[in-house]
Amino acid sequence: MAGVASSNRQRSRLAPYLMILPALAYLGVFYVVPIYSLFRTSLSTMGGSVYLPTLTFAWEFGNYTRALSEYRDQIMRSFGYAFCATVLCLLLAFPLAYVIAFKAGRFKNLLLGLVILPFFVTFLIRTIAWKTILADEGWVVSALGSVGLLPSEGRLLSTSWAVIGGLTYNWIIFMILPLYVSLEKIDARLLEASRDLYATNRRMFGKVILPLAMPGVLAGSLLVFIPSVGDFINADYLGSTKTTMIGNVIQKQFLVVKDYPVAAAMSFVLMALILGGVLLYTRALGTEDLV
Amino acid sequence: MAQQIDPNVLARLNSRRRFIGGGAAAAAALILGPSFLAACSSGEKSGSGPSAAPSAPEDDGSPATGKLRVSNWPLYMADGFVAAFQTATGLSVDYKENFNDNEEWFAKNKEPLSRKQDIGADLVVPTQFLAARLNALGWLNPISDSRWTNKKNLRPDLLNSKADEGRKVTAPYMSGMVGIAYNRAATGRDLTKVDDMWDPQFKGKVSLLSDTQDGLGMFMLAQGNSPEDPTLENVQKAVDVIREQKDRGQIRRFTGNDYADDLAAGNIVVAQAWSGDVVQLQKDNPDLKFVVPESGSTLFLDTMVIPYTTQNQKAAEEWINYVYDRANYAKLVAFTRFVPVLSDMADELNKIAPDLAGNPLINPSQATLDQLKSWPPLTDQQTQEFNKAYAAVTGS
Repeated sequence: MAGVASSNRQRSRLAPYLMILPALAYLGVFYVVPIYSLFRTSLSTMGGSVYLPTLTFAWEFGNYTRALSEYRDQIMRSFGYAFCATVLCLLLAFPLAYVIAFKAGRFKNLLLGLVILPFFVTFLIRTIAWKTILADEGWVVSALGSVGLLPSEGRLLSTSWAVIGGLTYNWIIFMILPLYVSLEKIDARLLEASRDLYATNRRMFGKVILPLAMPGVLAGSLLVFIPSVGDFINADYLGSTKTTMIGNVIQKQFLVVKDYPVAAAMSFVLMALILGGVLLYTRALGTEDLV
Repeated sequence: MAQQIDPNVLARLNSRRRFIGGGAAAAAALILGPSFLAACSSGEKSGSGPSAAPSAPEDDGSPATGKLRVSNWPLYMADGFVAAFQTATGLSVDYKENFNDNEEWFAKNKEPLSRKQDIGADLVVPTQFLAARLNALGWLNPISDSRWTNKKNLRPDLLNSKADEGRKVTAPYMSGMVGIAYNRAATGRDLTKVDDMWDPQFKGKVSLLSDTQDGLGMFMLAQGNSPEDPTLENVQKAVDVIREQKDRGQIRRFTGNDYADDLAAGNIVVAQAWSGDVVQLQKDNPDLKFVVPESGSTLFLDTMVIPYTTQNQKAAEEWINYVYDRANYAKLVAFTRFVPVLSDMADELNKIAPDLAGNPLINPSQATLDQLKSWPPLTDQQTQEFNKAYAAVTGS
């Protein structure tokens, strides 16, 4: 019998590993291998024919210097836009998630459904719809123009504002949902307790609600920030020649210029910067253990 | 038949980038990115020379049967044309409008083609420069003259081209002009010169084509340099002017044929445009005008080709022959509104669309044709350098 027990023990020790095996295999094939290939490409030199180039791995760090020096503006712009979009998402999503979590009562599911509803329409169509809404001769522009609120270009479409607005609109759901989940988990008795201790609304928010919602804030801002930095659809449709983001540059390098090493190096620069930013951010918020 | 073409001398004539904002295609590219790259590195061993010269599959003379998969540009087909072809031939057609951009199509399909793997299409419609590149790489099948009996209808000036002498592997599909499209109601005056595009009145309301050859040719001509004899220096000069205007905020966007929406919506007032698109748009907006600038502009030519991975050579040839029937072709021109590649189209066009036969954008005068130049076949080195020079402005 001892043998059976030990084999059971062995099996249960193995179980977790077996359970993550499919995910590991998936990540190995679809993440590690391509990333490795991308990494090699980023340090390669290109030779041979232009159309079927030979990539030779050569520790060519020059690709990285070129990526950084030639496209510094686009990198800075991408981070700037993504930062603005994340802050806007947070400002818009927090009150909404709060209302759904605490005040919506029986309409909670309905409101959540309404939040999700637009996202059944594809990303591309939603973005293109904004082109119509913000068109130079549309009613939004004429309304804003009549109260003197138009940006200096005298238009909305093809400005930085349109791109940031598009990013905010397209990714806000990834802020609302994690925030809602964190807020919804807050024990209502804690709020009662804070009131019993004569906390003002502001103090209750600052000392109880916000700290408990931090995991949601953190998760939400990462989920919005990361895809926003690399996004190129919004800049493509809603932007102009002066709002190019790093995603547009990478796309052009891969598909038109076909300079794969520099394109790959740019992808890595982007990943490294995002990773660095995320690490600093999680450290600053001190919630590593919560994510 | 052997095709001993130096792979470094890849012919390139005209190009037109008709991509719908690049969005969908680009999104797919990003999703496919890693595998695309993995494919790149696996291509390390595949070398760069042309594959074994292709030869058309044995033709036993029997009629074409089965399914034909056609991959064409968006809005490049007449209503009911595919159905009529199916009825006439008994073939079934899987028609897809998924050819959005020459360079992007090439970037995505070159790996399977280099390994001779099916690309999901038996007939595709690249612009002539890309067709010539595919041919030089040995990736096209010859089109059998015995099945392409209507080849005689092809315009004689197109039959012999440096890109494909005697049209053995490419069948021209549509031609057209690059020029300036503008909204007369918004400009308040007629535009005649390239410099008119830089009028401060149109600041932020101008779009240019992102395709290297179609985008730059017109500006090179305006500087007295012909795209017929391009040098990197001349290309760079044109790029410099465009960069200056971009930095001034004059140029709003670099586009594929998505300038059409912006022009119709009033976001763009002056666009570098393709003639056929403008004729189509004029139906809804008679204020739109198209002009070939005084200093001249460029022509493009799209061609039907059969990749050597085709699963149905005979059906593809049947399709080409059907398109080359003047009555059938008139239906296509009546829809696409580009310049016909078949000769003597006036009678057939008069029968179905009398207003079009006399349209100077479909039937340009000799004076206009004299203003239009074509890019010569470029070496792949040139293509790369020119693309890079222009992308430094369009993609940054």
